[in-house]
Amino acid sequence: MTTYRFSTGETIKHVVLILGALVVLLPFYLMVSTSLKAPQEIETNRGGFLGQQEMMVDGDCVRQGNAEEDCRQRPVVYNYTQAFEKAPLLRYLLNGVIVTVSIFIIQVVVALPCAYALAKLRFRGRSLVFGAVIVCLLIPVHAIALPLYIGLAKAGLTNSYAALIIPWTISAFGIFLMRQFFMTVPDDLIDAARMDGMSEFAIVWRVMLPAAVPALLAFAIFSVVAHWNDYFWPRIVITSSQELFTPPLGLREFKGEMADHAYGPMMATATIIVTPLIVAFLLAQRRFIEGITLSGMK
Amino acid sequence: MARLHLKDIRKSFGETRVLTGVSLDIADGEFVSLVGPSGCGKSTLLRIIAGLETQDSGRFEIDEQRVDGVRAADRNLSMVFQSYALYPHLSVGENIAVPLNMRQLNALQRLPVIGPFLPGARGRRRAIHAQVARAAEMLDITHLLGRKPGQLSGGQRQRVAVGRALVREPAAFLLDEPLSNLDAKLRVHMRAEIAQLHRWLGATFIYVTHDQVEAMTMSDRIAVMLDGELLQVGAPSEVYERPADIRVAEFIGSPKINILPAATAADGSIACLGTETRMAVRGAEVRASQLGVRPEGLHLSREPADFTGEILHLENLGPELYVQLRLQGCDAPATLRADAALLPQLAVGQSVHLSFRRDRALAFDNDGKAVETRLLDRTPQTTPASGIKPEQGIAPDLGEERRAAHV
Amino acid sequence: MSDASLKAPSLLPRLPRLARPAVRADTPEASRARTGVLFTLPAIVLMLVILIVPILMAGVLSFTDYSLGRAGFDWVGVQNYEHLLSRSAYRSMFVATLTYVFVVVPASVGLGLGAALLISSLRVGGDFYKTIYFLPVMAALLAMAIVWEFALHPTLGIVNSTLAAGCDIGWLRGLLTGAWLGGDPAASWYGQGCADGFPLWLGDRDYAIWTLCFIGIWQAFGFNMVLYLAGLTGIPRELYHAAEMDGAKSGWERFRLVTWPKLGPTTVFVVTITSIRSFQVFDQVEALTSGGPMKSTYVMMYAIYEKAIQQNLIGIGAAITMVFLGFVLLMTLIQRHLVERRVHYS
Repeated sequence: MTTYRFSTGETIKHVVLILGALVVLLPFYLMVSTSLKAPQEIETNRGGFLGQQEMMVDGDCVRQGNAEEDCRQRPVVYNYTQAFEKAPLLRYLLNGVIVTVSIFIIQVVVALPCAYALAKLRFRGRSLVFGAVIVCLLIPVHAIALPLYIGLAKAGLTNSYAALIIPWTISAFGIFLMRQFFMTVPDDLIDAARMDGMSEFAIVWRVMLPAAVPALLAFAIFSVVAHWNDYFWPRIVITSSQELFTPPLGLREFKGEMADHAYGPMMATATIIVTPLIVAFLLAQRRFIEGITLSGMK
Repeated sequence: MARLHLKDIRKSFGETRVLTGVSLDIADGEFVSLVGPSGCGKSTLLRIIAGLETQDSGRFEIDEQRVDGVRAADRNLSMVFQSYALYPHLSVGENIAVPLNMRQLNALQRLPVIGPFLPGARGRRRAIHAQVARAAEMLDITHLLGRKPGQLSGGQRQRVAVGRALVREPAAFLLDEPLSNLDAKLRVHMRAEIAQLHRWLGATFIYVTHDQVEAMTMSDRIAVMLDGELLQVGAPSEVYERPADIRVAEFIGSPKINILPAATAADGSIACLGTETRMAVRGAEVRASQLGVRPEGLHLSREPADFTGEILHLENLGPELYVQLRLQGCDAPATLRADAALLPQLAVGQSVHLSFRRDRALAFDNDGKAVETRLLDRTPQTTPASGIKPEQGIAPDLGEERRAAHV
Repeated sequence: MSDASLKAPSLLPRLPRLARPAVRADTPEASRARTGVLFTLPAIVLMLVILIVPILMAGVLSFTDYSLGRAGFDWVGVQNYEHLLSRSAYRSMFVATLTYVFVVVPASVGLGLGAALLISSLRVGGDFYKTIYFLPVMAALLAMAIVWEFALHPTLGIVNSTLAAGCDIGWLRGLLTGAWLGGDPAASWYGQGCADGFPLWLGDRDYAIWTLCFIGIWQAFGFNMVLYLAGLTGIPRELYHAAEMDGAKSGWERFRLVTWPKLGPTTVFVVTITSIRSFQVFDQVEALTSGGPMKSTYVMMYAIYEKAIQQNLIGIGAAITMVFLGFVLLMTLIQRHLVERRVHYS
């Protein structure tokens, strides 16, 4: 009797959650499916998930004077080659990697010594600096985009990697997080390192950094996800140079210039941009959820 | 090896005076324990010796050379920490090699990946490797060299920490409560091991502990610290039997020494709880106002003797018995140590007669300073009642093992 | 102690003694204090230059008519702020922003809590749903907004074509139009849609902001769910047992008595961070509606972008920035207040 009632409850929960999951997954399904289909199938909404994959003719290719025979392709091949050929998508992806990795490295180089000093060194003004970090924790960088933009424009730095990276070099959150972590490292370990002949600089990089790897990994995920997906800031500071576009900017550009029926290639681009993080997430879910919800520690 | 000389070391943290003028000479190869309750300044003193902190005033010399202002790493001292302080990301072997790497390789040679290929690095690395291997063999941790500290037991970590300290042959070893994180059984074992290590190395050891048993069992000399000052420095037996200060008497020895109120008559004879003790102070101006009697110096007696008391509580430890008493005329309870065979004859609430050994009694004046006494007559001790055996030689009490057995 | 465990020390080679270095003047404390200042210096400079100075700069510029490329500027007093209050475009801006915040925050927090409660009560499959619901958090919002736009496309979109397909199925149409309740099928939303076509969603001023809200909720609730799940695992099971012993029989009573109070700190945090993020909504707006139609989706971040970056009206953009920072500050103060006052019962 009780088992039966329990199962009903359980079933209802699963039904509700599955309905939710369908809504959540709908755009992902649509994105991947569309990236596989031929234009006619997209327009008429036929072909199931994979599409029929019938040979199609690339109109641009024919217009350039090639024989129709040479321009026949499977829709999936067409969509994904178009994604890379119509726009320098590879370049965008490379830019994305350069920007996110640079931001993370600089954040660590700035934050780690500072966090160590705040956690383990006694100096005049330490609590003042920590107070400043707490205040800066509350400032959303997006909110002060305008004055930052003006500053960069005055310095002639718009449309450069520097513009994409500089505003994110200081992560008050990173300092705060690492400081909290370093507080848990026993003082004895640092004194032992001093007795062993390490300088304070060596202690930061040879003792504290390796000890902080788990926290650092979580912060890396937090930072990389935020900046790979960021659209607002690149939109503002990259106005003309297409070779500096980050992946979201590239996709936006694609959408802006798109001829009417290029949904297939556009969705292929979207899929390529979204996939790296999704795959990484599926491979290391626990770490990712930890990293993304890090801000919950504030 | 090294002689250490501390002269009038003072240190304050803000308003708190942590060290109030400490002077201490440590001979080459000596094992000296700094013992005292937590917060007495012993760790601060050790950190000043190590060079991790600076004294506000006073001087510190190693082998007649003043080292104030010399970096910790350059003092050629090594330290074993309470939490062992092993680098968690390095293997045991790498941990032990760190002090050698930092001294024998230059910054470039220490670099990861490319470091080992730089000129000269190879030979030095091989030499370091050999030294680490020898140290590991000596401590019997060769089989652990490849493991990370997280995979080791407390005792093994302790050995690694010792290995890291001894691999570079320091002038002196500083040990900061190295056993306090171990369980009681292992602590007894490691105590003997460290003492033996000291005998073999013949190096100077400075050992900080709050545990008087560790201090008593391992050291050549004990330095008892309280409230930032050194109360007494001496061999363990001397500190136990002739404490210079009532605080030392109370700190050393377990169960704690019984302190009884006493009075000194004009002729110098001492009375305690209404009984003439047949002891007298030496010197005219000296007045003894407290009498210290160790638990093994109190005896149960069949006939009326020095004191009477009521049994409050009995603690049977197996080989012996602690009897808690309220002595007539004294509010604080007293403790007596007796043979466990007496247990059937005793009961809580029972009234008993007590005698005490005056040759081992300690007299203190109002300020708690020890007072020299002499015995006034040579009459033998009150013979213990039949069934109660006389004490056979009194060793300094080390209650630790017994307590350990109860843990 | 085993004798085998310690071997004679003579095996150790003599190390070359370190040369005694010259006595240095400074103490370890002093040199560490110097290092401390040195280590924090880059961070201090960057915090000043990147975070503090720009805020002051925005504050100053909001009282000017500055624009990039012009040599000087004039002080215009509070004129920019007056415009914010008087012009209808900015009224639309506040309406759109507040609508978005007041829809997305409760909905995504509520859905996040609901999903967390359901998932944590499951016997099997909890991790599966958790993974799926978290996917939108990982995906670039801009990309997914573009996909949603495609899904909501009036002619090609899967949403409208599915809705239209439903019109041809009698029972489904009956169900959705509310005919079974006795209403007039033609008067219902679904009935009208079947007759006159379904909405343009992003192109219709009555629907656009709600559609953007939906995308925002879709993206944000998984994040809130994960935070709530973490909060739920922090509630000791004994508390539920105690509540049951004390007579809280129904699930709802146990929720009121134990779960909700214990999730207090999580809720405060989730609401604050979702609010601050909702105030910053930009990606969907820029890519899908450009603030339209009729300024119905003209949110603050987009207004800053359009006025200051595109039209080079820095003064008004700076004024919006200051108002924006005011909102964020207000949120934070409310959060601090709640954290310190109400939520400390743990």
